[in-house]
Amino acid sequence: MRSLSRKQILLLAAAVWLGGAVLIYAATGSSGKNEEFQPTGEFKLEEWLPLGFNRAVLYLLLAALLTIVTMVYIAKRMADRPNRVQTAVETVFVFMRDQIAGANLDRDMARKWFPFVGALFLFIWFNNMLGYIPLPVNDHEPISIGSLELPSFAIYAATANISIPLALSLMVWITYHIVGIRRQGLGKYFASWVPAGVEGFARGPIFLIEVISHFVRTISLSVRLFANILAGHLLILFMAGGLGVILGVAALGWFTLPAAVLFFLFEVGLVATLQAFIFATLTAIYLGGAVAAEH
Amino acid sequence: MDLLALFLPLAQTSGDVESGLKAIALGVGAGLGTIGPGIGVGYIFGKVIESVTRQPEMRDEITSIQWLGFALTEAIVFYAFIFGLIAFFL
Repeated sequence: MRSLSRKQILLLAAAVWLGGAVLIYAATGSSGKNEEFQPTGEFKLEEWLPLGFNRAVLYLLLAALLTIVTMVYIAKRMADRPNRVQTAVETVFVFMRDQIAGANLDRDMARKWFPFVGALFLFIWFNNMLGYIPLPVNDHEPISIGSLELPSFAIYAATANISIPLALSLMVWITYHIVGIRRQGLGKYFASWVPAGVEGFARGPIFLIEVISHFVRTISLSVRLFANILAGHLLILFMAGGLGVILGVAALGWFTLPAAVLFFLFEVGLVATLQAFIFATLTAIYLGGAVAAEH
Repeated sequence: MDLLALFLPLAQTSGDVESGLKAIALGVGAGLGTIGPGIGVGYIFGKVIESVTRQPEMRDEITSIQWLGFALTEAIVFYAFIFGLIAFFL
């Protein structure tokens, strides 16, 4: 039997995909709109333990542990002839040092603030990546085995909850103001907000606009990360069967599954890393802007 | 006034007008919100291709700026989306 050409394989895949959708629809049909399933339940935080220990806290702890353990472990076992893992970590390290901190801060600032910026990058990156590994954390729609109720597998990221990006960006916001005030003094720091070349009466309104833009930074920094991760998770959730469940058409789940795989690859391959990179880069830019005399 | 009188019975006959309007607001708002960033992202990548073909030796530097610009622009889609969701759920 001769092997199939690429065109035949593609046609076969399309036939399986479309034919499967038609077959499933013929077999199951439509069971009407499902009012019971709430997509928001996927992001609901139930308190598991006292002190507000919930799903997001678990993910945060996991990400923090991963960040610390992997980095300390690699740093302790540095070898002259690196193996593959060490090479990868060294590449990440050089990337963080040169592209994120080095490119946006001057020499002294980069040396001083690289640990902060690098830790932010790694922590957010681990948080985002953990979000794409299915873990048994969904107690909203449990699986019943006998009398036992087990949580079902779900993807959830701590960064898909607005509180965590907001806390991180508030930390960055307060830090860069303090750094600016310590470097330049209170009066000079606020004076440096007004761009060079603005003289006389125009300084007042321009200063007001700059004040607003500084406050908007907290919103844009946190909502960018939060919304990217949340939208990615929603897209994967809906495409990987959520639409079929809500509308009660099983065939729709099969039909949208390829889109879910594509979105998953896009999120894991690009968005997770890119958002961590953006957060760290903007932190470095804000820190650099705070110590610059005027921008 | 006449227009309102025309639509009032329509609104009274169905009890689910509010959630319908919310769904339309989410769809139209988020959809319109994607237009601007879509143009912006296309513009960024177009300019990147242009710059790299003119100065291939600048490629590495341009690539890092490109992703920064891409992520900053792309995030605007999600601002529209999030505000749509807020309007939908509140």
